Amino acid sequence: MSHSTVPRSRAEAETTEKTPVASGGATGSRQKRRPEKLSLWLRFRRDRVLLLMTLPAVVLILLFNYVPILGNVVAFQDYDPYISGNGVVSMLHSPWVGVENFQRIFADSAFWSAVQNTLVLFFLQLLLFFPIPILLALLINSVVRPRVRAFAQAVLYLPHFFSWVLVIAVFQQLLGGAGLLSQVLRQHGYDGLDIMTDPDTFKFLVTAQSVWKDAGWGIIVFLAALASVSPDLYEAAAMDGAGRWRRMWHVTLPALRPMIALLLVLRVGDALTVGFEQILLQRDAVGPGASEVLDTFVWWNGVRNQDFGYAAAAGLVKGVVSIGLVLAANKVAHLMGEQGVYKK
Amino acid sequence: MTPNSASAGPSRRSFLASTAVAAAAVAGGMPLLAACGDSDGGSRDGTTSGKDAKKLLPAYVASNVVTPDIAAKNGSAIGFTGKLDLATLKTSVTKKLGKGGKVTIMSPFWGSPPKSNNAYYKGMNDLIGVDVVWQNQDGNTYDQKLGAILASSDIPDVVVVPGWNMGGKIPTAIISKFADLGPYLSGDAVKDFPNLAAIPTDSWRRSIFGGQLRGLPMPAPWAPSITPLYRQDIFEKEGYEVPKSCDEFLALAKEITNPKAKRWACLDMKWTAFQAFGVLSGSEKPLGWNLVDGKLIYRIETDEYLEALEWSRKLFEAGVVHPDSKLGKNAPDPGPKFAKGEFLIYPSNISQWYSRTTEQAAQNPDFKVWGMDVWGHDGGNPTMWAEQPAGIFAFVNKKASESVIRDVLAVANVTAAPYGTKEYMMTNYGVEGTHYTVKDGVPTKTDQGNIDVLNAFVMVASPAATIAHPDYPEVAKAQVEWEQRMGALTKKSSFWGMQITEPNRYTNLGNDMEQMEDDVVRGRKKVSDMQQWISDWKSKGGDGLRDWYKKILDENGSAAN
Repeated sequence: MSHSTVPRSRAEAETTEKTPVASGGATGSRQKRRPEKLSLWLRFRRDRVLLLMTLPAVVLILLFNYVPILGNVVAFQDYDPYISGNGVVSMLHSPWVGVENFQRIFADSAFWSAVQNTLVLFFLQLLLFFPIPILLALLINSVVRPRVRAFAQAVLYLPHFFSWVLVIAVFQQLLGGAGLLSQVLRQHGYDGLDIMTDPDTFKFLVTAQSVWKDAGWGIIVFLAALASVSPDLYEAAAMDGAGRWRRMWHVTLPALRPMIALLLVLRVGDALTVGFEQILLQRDAVGPGASEVLDTFVWWNGVRNQDFGYAAAAGLVKGVVSIGLVLAANKVAHLMGEQGVYKK
Repeated sequence: MTPNSASAGPSRRSFLASTAVAAAAVAGGMPLLAACGDSDGGSRDGTTSGKDAKKLLPAYVASNVVTPDIAAKNGSAIGFTGKLDLATLKTSVTKKLGKGGKVTIMSPFWGSPPKSNNAYYKGMNDLIGVDVVWQNQDGNTYDQKLGAILASSDIPDVVVVPGWNMGGKIPTAIISKFADLGPYLSGDAVKDFPNLAAIPTDSWRRSIFGGQLRGLPMPAPWAPSITPLYRQDIFEKEGYEVPKSCDEFLALAKEITNPKAKRWACLDMKWTAFQAFGVLSGSEKPLGWNLVDGKLIYRIETDEYLEALEWSRKLFEAGVVHPDSKLGKNAPDPGPKFAKGEFLIYPSNISQWYSRTTEQAAQNPDFKVWGMDVWGHDGGNPTMWAEQPAGIFAFVNKKASESVIRDVLAVANVTAAPYGTKEYMMTNYGVEGTHYTVKDGVPTKTDQGNIDVLNAFVMVASPAATIAHPDYPEVAKAQVEWEQRMGALTKKSSFWGMQITEPNRYTNLGNDMEQMEDDVVRGRKKVSDMQQWISDWKSKGGDGLRDWYKKILDENGSAAN
């Protein structure tokens, strides 16, 4: 909401004065298209009940999402929560170190290795995980008999409700060095496989676990989008002689496009968050060299080693980069002609 | 279970798992403050010894309640091998000291915690006269919660902190958040609590944090505590001989291993390797320093350290280590697979010698676990390094009122009762009839006893290290004798017996050491990576830390003889 536009006429100047928060950046031509502008006060009076109803949510968001942001100040301190009885008081008394924590981070090879692991994992998941729910949704959508369809959906959804502890235990029992697969192999004269503790293939393992657990859950939104495609379109296409593949390519996929773009933007914004619990649980099995991601890096340094200032600085770096990524992805979505997450 | 509290707590795999990252604690007595304080910017770091310590230490009044069958020698525990006669149990606490107040205690717990109002907790509370409310936390991940809880403003009345969880800034927290017990315990004051007065002075000295007596100690034997346990029954059946050197071990391990039949020789033997190669102790940072020819060296700077890692790595490379060990700390509890014979040897706290025995007694009568003597890597006698005479402490919240502190001490006075007393039986076995039954002088825990009587009260304060298993007297005897044989080969490093707090700016030094070790041993990193890490360690502060420790040594001398 910029206020930069200089009023071109007296009339416009008056309008601007009356509606200080009205979209000042709107040019004359844009404003013409809009319905008449109400003053802030009028809008406030008109919407007061609605505003009142949003109040509890606003207070919660302020309290739990915005106030804690102030805590980021510890990123610039050698924060020691133990010097007083209260975390906030400790914050006031901890020595100020300026950007030293950030300097340490940028010089820390463990941090860069965590960044690298995070990004590699993100791209792997984008490549190998992201398309799978779409394919599954298309597959399920083509099943006609409701019973079979419901059964398949239930089977696909179920793993989503297992905790990571359970998922990893199952993988361990099946694929671990002393697990079922290795034992069968050994009994038949082959070497055992050690899929769970091989740092080289760890990122594929993590991706496979994510796919197994969450791919089924991910099809829900795509199924909803598919349900909204009018059958008329298919019929019309069929009349024009389009076969199965052509109908998918020209009818189904275009219908899914806005949804795919939206999810992609959201996913990119989350790029630096690649599964904290899942990785923490397997960190020792392959060593931090292959498994440390930004979230576990923050946890290890902050919670485990009580180097809170350092961990907060790492978290802050992650937050800033994430904002950049969301903005970039959103821009790309706009360029592709899609809605994206928001529009100015 | 273990009538020896010293072994009950840290007995689980966490003891091994948590290792070396245990920074120690404390404080500047006045002279030290002058010496080290200024240059390192704080009064919290340093140690308290000599005259300053003497003023704080409780008087020692030996307990004459019972005479052990095997006296302590070479840093061993005392041992009891006789039968138990309920009729002759002594009473060590003649009057209820508790004033009926409520005390909350947070403590690490290994296993599944019982219901909060169970018969054991009730019985203990009645005996003490205090309403103790337990906040039991998973012992294996205790370090991950401790930091957050101590940073909050809602700290329980009593917090139990094992030495190996004192990494990072925890020592600072101990000094700023917990009460000075000196006014109640120093000098003759302790005589109000006769069982606390009988706790050895070495253990009390370790309880001085930040220049004040803050901890209630769990005394421990200073003889080595990590024993290579092995399946003696299978060894006998297959004709395997206990190895006497690292080469013999490897040869035996190859003979044992047969993955096709789901059998491997051992788990990660890193801890035994450290002993066999004579590496300085890693259970606490100060223990790892030793004066050699006028220069302090740290354990990771020695050739032995790298050799020990290299040999442990060789075992992994040879494929004789059970695949679960590759999982590191996430490996499942070794108990069931050890019982199944999936592997035959693993290093563990000596207390598991007994606990594995009882676990399997009912369903697996052939099962026999025994402890190997640690061998020298080249076949001679090993040189091992002493452990601290107390490793787990209970602290009282600084905000606690005097009446709460007195109630806590009443609790400790009961839990520290020696073997052969009613209080000891109640603390370690629970209520007779409900938690255990006695037949022919052998107390046996009931199912409810196995559920209720676990950890908790034994974590608060304990008598001098004791091993007593009336149900398996031969195991008790073997454990004490193992400690005495190994203790004879044990030396004390320069800072043995002292409670030292490193300055804040060094606390994060070495945080990743254990990870590096595990990476190297499992073949994920090269030994040269470790060497690089060590040289970084030196330049990032290790050399500064060396100077800092040297000052402490010059000021205080060594407690070890």
